[in-house]
Amino acid sequence: MSDPTALDPVALDPVALDPVALDPVALDPVALDPVALRKLARVIRAVFPHDGIPDAPYLRSAEALRDQAAATSPRRAAVVAEGLRSLQQLTGGDVEAIDVDALSGILRHLEQTEFFQAVLTSSVVSFYSDPEVWQHLGYEGPSFEKGGYVNRGFDDLDWLPEPRIEEYAGDDEFVEYVPPVPGLQVSFDTTKKVAQI
Amino acid sequence: MSAISHDDEAVVIVGSGAGGGTLAYELTKRGIPVVVLEAGPHLTNDDYTNDEWEAFGQMAWPSDRTDSGSWKVAQDFPNLPAWIVKAVGGTTTHWSGATPRFKAHEFKARTAYGHIDGASLLDWPIDLADIAPWYDEAEKAMGSTHRHGRKPLPANNNYKVFANGAERVGYKHYATGPYATNAEEYDGRPASIQDGFNFQGDKNTSKWSTLVREIPRAQETGLLDLRPDSHVAQITHDSHGRVDAVLYLDKSGALHRQRAKLVAVAGNSIETARLLLLSASALFPDGLANSSGQVGRNYTRHLTGSVYAQFEDEVRMYRGETMAGIIADESRHDTGRGFSGGYYMETISLGPAFLAKFLTPGSWGRDFTSFIDGYARTAGMWIVGEDLPQETNRVTLNPAALDEHGLPVAHVHYDDHPNDKAMREYAYAHAENLYDAVGATRTWRTPPYPSTHNMGTARMSARPEDGVVDAWGRSHDVPNLFVSDGSVFTTSAAANPTLTIVALAIRQADYIAAQLKSGGI
Repeated sequence: MSDPTALDPVALDPVALDPVALDPVALDPVALDPVALRKLARVIRAVFPHDGIPDAPYLRSAEALRDQAAATSPRRAAVVAEGLRSLQQLTGGDVEAIDVDALSGILRHLEQTEFFQAVLTSSVVSFYSDPEVWQHLGYEGPSFEKGGYVNRGFDDLDWLPEPRIEEYAGDDEFVEYVPPVPGLQVSFDTTKKVAQI
Repeated sequence: MSAISHDDEAVVIVGSGAGGGTLAYELTKRGIPVVVLEAGPHLTNDDYTNDEWEAFGQMAWPSDRTDSGSWKVAQDFPNLPAWIVKAVGGTTTHWSGATPRFKAHEFKARTAYGHIDGASLLDWPIDLADIAPWYDEAEKAMGSTHRHGRKPLPANNNYKVFANGAERVGYKHYATGPYATNAEEYDGRPASIQDGFNFQGDKNTSKWSTLVREIPRAQETGLLDLRPDSHVAQITHDSHGRVDAVLYLDKSGALHRQRAKLVAVAGNSIETARLLLLSASALFPDGLANSSGQVGRNYTRHLTGSVYAQFEDEVRMYRGETMAGIIADESRHDTGRGFSGGYYMETISLGPAFLAKFLTPGSWGRDFTSFIDGYARTAGMWIVGEDLPQETNRVTLNPAALDEHGLPVAHVHYDDHPNDKAMREYAYAHAENLYDAVGATRTWRTPPYPSTHNMGTARMSARPEDGVVDAWGRSHDVPNLFVSDGSVFTTSAAANPTLTIVALAIRQADYIAAQLKSGGI
């Protein structure tokens, strides 16, 4: 019967597949090694560029992407690894060597690819659920165990006046209903009667 | 808790949320034993987690649905038309808490708005006066702030921006409620600690839900047989066309038959329609209670959208009650604005994880991240308005996609009506005006989230040919079959639906109890 390894991208010699043969280790589609993960993290930074956020959360998102892809299917894992490999080729050999915004520009053309969508849908969840990212954005995370914010600034905004919290009690009556045809009288009285025109 | 035998002809309620949970309590309170079959697990407040994605995975009905149509949700979330809960307490465990009443004219939308091309508008068979006393009951049960002596919640940061903006653009009808979360201890539950988690379930139990009120009280009567992890697959009937049992699957996938003298379906609009359609038989080939062909049709989900605004100074919208801010000025009907019906503006807050996912689904790059970078300086509001019923906006069965039990999943088709689009554009612009008035440096229009309000798929009608149930939620076709959730809404009105679902369920319980007593069922 057919050779099962023929369907397994892992078994293909990366050098044979890659004319540029930049980093054969990074081309292993299942076990993305630390170098490949770093490059994937660079891609995620180009998708969600925050200059003030260090590499660590991007790297964790790359790991999450690798793990999710591997857990989904060998084919999905290959999509990620091959996508990275092909992006490396397109960018002249090393996604880390080019400017983040330039890399974003390249990714813009690849938006509809399965690789890009895999990166986007995984990292939008993992990256923005990372407490280090929250810290950078000024979000304080779980609060119940800390007693909520009732004594920790839920109402500390002081650059606007204190607004009314009660419902309006002034003279202007709220007009709920203006008839669609000017001059037409429609009543919805509070008796059992259906509205009359 | 009383165990009811599978062979007993029981009163069976499908679902334990706003409709089913309320009906269960109100019937047991009146001495009537009930079986509640809940598809999801029995999570409690201690199980909830202050993490958006973890909580979503824990509580949300998994994405075993499909959708289509011109609404943006079909493009953004092809397998997640709705964001509702599968657990004891249903979507009341995840709802925000806003409890405005419907207005008199909204019960008579066909008369009030006249004929509108493409819309299947119909007047409700009841009016505001019919439901008003039940609104009182519901508000007391739920502890709505600003009502019946309940204190208003204080202004949180997001509300301060919202209310000041409202004042500056000339709105008058703004307040921190009505909102069914305790500002002070009430009904045995504590005051809000303003922890900011709400869609994730309220660990503090300050927010009303059937999980914290109706279900435990029904259990205290000794008359409730609550069966979690029990997914109803079919309602069966006898040779006279009266329902006689339900078939349901337990956690292990084993099928059970519970005999029934009365069945009330409250699975939230999508699942309720799905169950009626799944219950097709030789006698009812188009689905149970569907001689009108209206089951699944006229699906409404409210016109929605959000506007997030950023300022020079910090807001920290995530601190405090998520939706304790309501502006009613635009909830009127005034076609001078270019559309029929009205909408509310309500504060909303998402954490970074959900904001990034939902701000504009699929968006990325500098423009996107520069907005996310301003998270701490962001305020937010949700726009919720009446959407017009259309016959083609519809829940059907999708035989090409099966759930874990092998049942066809619900397919939701929805096209925006031109009236919906006009209202949304108007609402976006006026939300931006409001924030600009208090110094917004940047605003962002966020498209609709997967539907949290689901209505209309088994609508009430005076005439059997126009709808599925009568003014009591009783099937026109099958005398001992009731629908007890938002499916019965003839039109959506502008207000958040939960209060009205609860009021109708209390009213329905009163009716069912009287009918059972008099032999009318």
